[in-house]
Amino acid sequence: MSGLAVSARWLDFQPPNRLTAVPSLLIPMDDVQTDHLKAYGLTYRAIQAGLKAEWLLNYRGGSFLIPDLDALRRDAALNGIRTEPVDSAMTAVRGEIEANNMDAVPLEKASKVAVYAPPNAAPWDDAVTMALQYAGISFTKIWDSEVVNGSLKDFDWLHLHHEDFTGQYSKFFLIYSGMSWLAEMVQRNTDMARRLGFATVPDLKKAVARGIHGYVENGGFLFAMCTATETIDLALAAEKVDIAATFADGTPIDPDADTKLDWAKSFAFTGAHLENNPLIASFSDIDGHQVNSGARRQPLGAFKLFNFSAKIDPVPTMLVQNHRQVIPDFYGLTTSFTRTHLKPGATILADEEGAPWVKYVHGDLGKGTWTFFGGHDPEDPQHQIGDPPTDLSLHPHSPGYRLILNNVLFPAAKKKELKT
Amino acid sequence: MSRSLNWTIVTSLVLVLSADAAGVAQGQAIGPGFELERAGRYADAASVYFTTVRGDPTNLPALLGLERTLFVLNRLPELLPLVQNARARLPESVALRSLELRVYAGLNQLDSLETIARRWAAAAPQSEQPYREWGQALADHRMWDEARRALLTGRRTLGGNGGETLAIELAQLEQRAGNWEASAAEWGRAVTRSPDVGPTAASQLVDAPAAVHDQVARVLTAPGASARARRLGAEVLLTWGRPTEAWAAMQSTLGDSETPDALRRFADLAGALTTTEGHRVRGLALTRWADLVPWQQASRARAEAVRELLEAGDKVAARRVLEGLTTDSAAPAEAHAIAEAALLQVLVADGQLDVAQERLTRATAITADDLAALRLALSQARVARGELDRAETVLGEDSSVAVVAQRGWIALYRGNLKAAMDDFRLAGPYATDRAAATERTAMMAMLQRIPQQSSPDLGAALLTLARGDSVAASNALRRAAAKLPEQGGRLEVLLLAGQLAAQKGGEHDQTATALFDEVVRAGGEGAAPAAAELEWARLLVRRGQNAEAIPHLEHLILTYPNSAFVPEARRVLERAKGAIPKS
Repeated sequence: MSGLAVSARWLDFQPPNRLTAVPSLLIPMDDVQTDHLKAYGLTYRAIQAGLKAEWLLNYRGGSFLIPDLDALRRDAALNGIRTEPVDSAMTAVRGEIEANNMDAVPLEKASKVAVYAPPNAAPWDDAVTMALQYAGISFTKIWDSEVVNGSLKDFDWLHLHHEDFTGQYSKFFLIYSGMSWLAEMVQRNTDMARRLGFATVPDLKKAVARGIHGYVENGGFLFAMCTATETIDLALAAEKVDIAATFADGTPIDPDADTKLDWAKSFAFTGAHLENNPLIASFSDIDGHQVNSGARRQPLGAFKLFNFSAKIDPVPTMLVQNHRQVIPDFYGLTTSFTRTHLKPGATILADEEGAPWVKYVHGDLGKGTWTFFGGHDPEDPQHQIGDPPTDLSLHPHSPGYRLILNNVLFPAAKKKELKT
Repeated sequence: MSRSLNWTIVTSLVLVLSADAAGVAQGQAIGPGFELERAGRYADAASVYFTTVRGDPTNLPALLGLERTLFVLNRLPELLPLVQNARARLPESVALRSLELRVYAGLNQLDSLETIARRWAAAAPQSEQPYREWGQALADHRMWDEARRALLTGRRTLGGNGGETLAIELAQLEQRAGNWEASAAEWGRAVTRSPDVGPTAASQLVDAPAAVHDQVARVLTAPGASARARRLGAEVLLTWGRPTEAWAAMQSTLGDSETPDALRRFADLAGALTTTEGHRVRGLALTRWADLVPWQQASRARAEAVRELLEAGDKVAARRVLEGLTTDSAAPAEAHAIAEAALLQVLVADGQLDVAQERLTRATAITADDLAALRLALSQARVARGELDRAETVLGEDSSVAVVAQRGWIALYRGNLKAAMDDFRLAGPYATDRAAATERTAMMAMLQRIPQQSSPDLGAALLTLARGDSVAASNALRRAAAKLPEQGGRLEVLLLAGQLAAQKGGEHDQTATALFDEVVRAGGEGAAPAAAELEWARLLVRRGQNAEAIPHLEHLILTYPNSAFVPEARRVLERAKGAIPKS
């Protein structure tokens, strides 16, 4: 499933409009970098301003090259980002890139970013929102009404985090009954379902999942973490099956739901079995770690990023650019993905060696792509409800957060297929 | 996992664990089923349990296994005939009766549930068990009203104990239903019936949302509430960080046989509070407790109470306790020493420095550590009065690092900058507590920019600051700065003056801004310009002028990229921009 599975059709291999004609700034992404996360923001803002940039895949941790302009130097200095002026030295660098498993990918268009989250969601509930905010990458929050009303077409990149697309409120309904935040979540979702003409919240969420699926088929880039990965596939596969417990829709789960799931409709997974117990905050056996399932809970290890061929598989190469190849794992309501439930077309980007699960997967769908990353917060491995927000200024070199930001920048590399 | 589920599982485990040898054999028979269940193979596990029950219709572990697995599989109806059969064979089994109720509740057959609960109650007319299980079965399915009705039926039927029957169950039910006020009332009844419930009740009620704290407290501490309920209220208030109200509630309960234990528990809980009121209330509780226990415990408690009361600044109450302690001839020598040290502490805090110094010279029982601490405190108190000679005299020949540091301050206030630097260096960076060490290090950083060996003006300005008049100190520092070279300490002293003005806030913000502006404009090699710009930005952020703070922070970062203040400036910049959430 790894290696050459992703075609290079996303990239145009015409000779890139390289930056060596003008002095450039190299943003090194190896251990000398003083703020890896903000470096993505600097590159993004350069592209957003209409400037050309390059992503030097596998060169010094996946470095960036941007024009040497006063405004960008100022931006870098203010944000504590290390840059190195380069001119003639780039000849040697380009030679090194040509001779090794490296490549230089032009970055041309800053993607318009949407984050799917309820209107009252705190920014620090979601690792991606925090990463975007810390790096200084602008985004728009959208929710069910925008998806159902077709507004997704206005965005290039969509992020989902811990949304439960099965409509069961992350199965916290019974476990956290009486908590004000849960009551508010239920009320908000119920109101939205009613407003949009759906009988139940699970029905609404299935429609939203289908809307997102259509968005990707039409060329959108989807990045999902935590519960959203598993539940969006369950919601898609369960289009005509009741998989929601009685507390969520007033009717019991279809006793034969497992056999009625249509996995042809899902993004990444197939052949999974549902967790029907409403008191266990787990959705299916897609998640390898089962953090809330008592004896089935698996301990955290570390996951290793795959090494792809930069010149042949640029997309997965971009998605795994990092200054660390082995990264400590972190829990989420969905932490990992069982290998046996992955569709054959999925590309594994990172896994735990010897374990029956993988951490980070990617695939194509229609004209678009999807990327799923398990876990909730790379710098809060045991994340609990009510934990204080992660302060990313204390984790400027986080390799886990780098993987998130790789996803934000990689659509900028797509040239011909970009939607306008 | 919900509390009710926990309860069910615990019950199941207790039942399994308390089984006799035959029961153990029963349990072993279902071992494979349990393993399958752990692996999430519920249908296979259910098959094993069914097979076991077919051979042994009253096998409780297997029936409980079926309850767990068939619920998950949405096949609960299959369990009902098996449970009815088992109950008919063993009508005295409480576990089977309870299981039968839970199955009916799971099937939503409420009429049948009530019928068999009443039938069970008729068979055991003095038992709370049928009503408890009936209510619990309904509560597990979130049928709060029905569960409440079941439990109240039990209370009415069983009567007795002033309406306290089934109070724990009702308290838990109301809490799960979000009715905290009703829950508090029931916990009050429960604790009135049995004081052992107190810690559990308190641990449950402290989780009440802040919006209902007042109502919960009112229910528990109302004049008609029992002493135990009011003590519960006091404990809950204490945990919520409301010690004064807690003590008022506690005081109203003192006098019965449970008072000593209640006071000790209250004092222990108050120990978790670090507020002034927390210390005061703990001191008062310990004092009252000391009146009720043997003298060995009492003298130590009083000494502890004095420390707490002093910590709270209540010198009058502390002295009152000390009077009792020092005149207690039966108290051991150690207690007298503690009392004497505490009394001296009170005298110093009270400003009776001459009396304190005179007693200090006669004090023989006080430990060496206490003696050194008291000398230092007395010296600091003399400094606060501007009595530098007496402040130095009281230190005697002591050569501890804390005293060396204190001598450094005295030299500084006299304007002898070189001697101050020498003493601070000798004391090192770790003497005394962290705040004092940091203050000393900051002062050394300022002094090392000043080429002169003495500056009486600067010493006098800093003494004014030490005496607590920061406004006058700020003005005096400005005057002292004017006599220093611009790149020879003037900017650092102006920065300190600006910081003092900024700390005062309000009308002094303008002065602080002018001083920071002067330092920033002067620029130069030292740390002062960058520090001044950071302070200026912080002042603006504090005033809500984030947009004005941002250019200052950007200027600082770009102008002094190697300054030690840059990382902090970046953090303030992030916060000013809203990129870092407030914890």
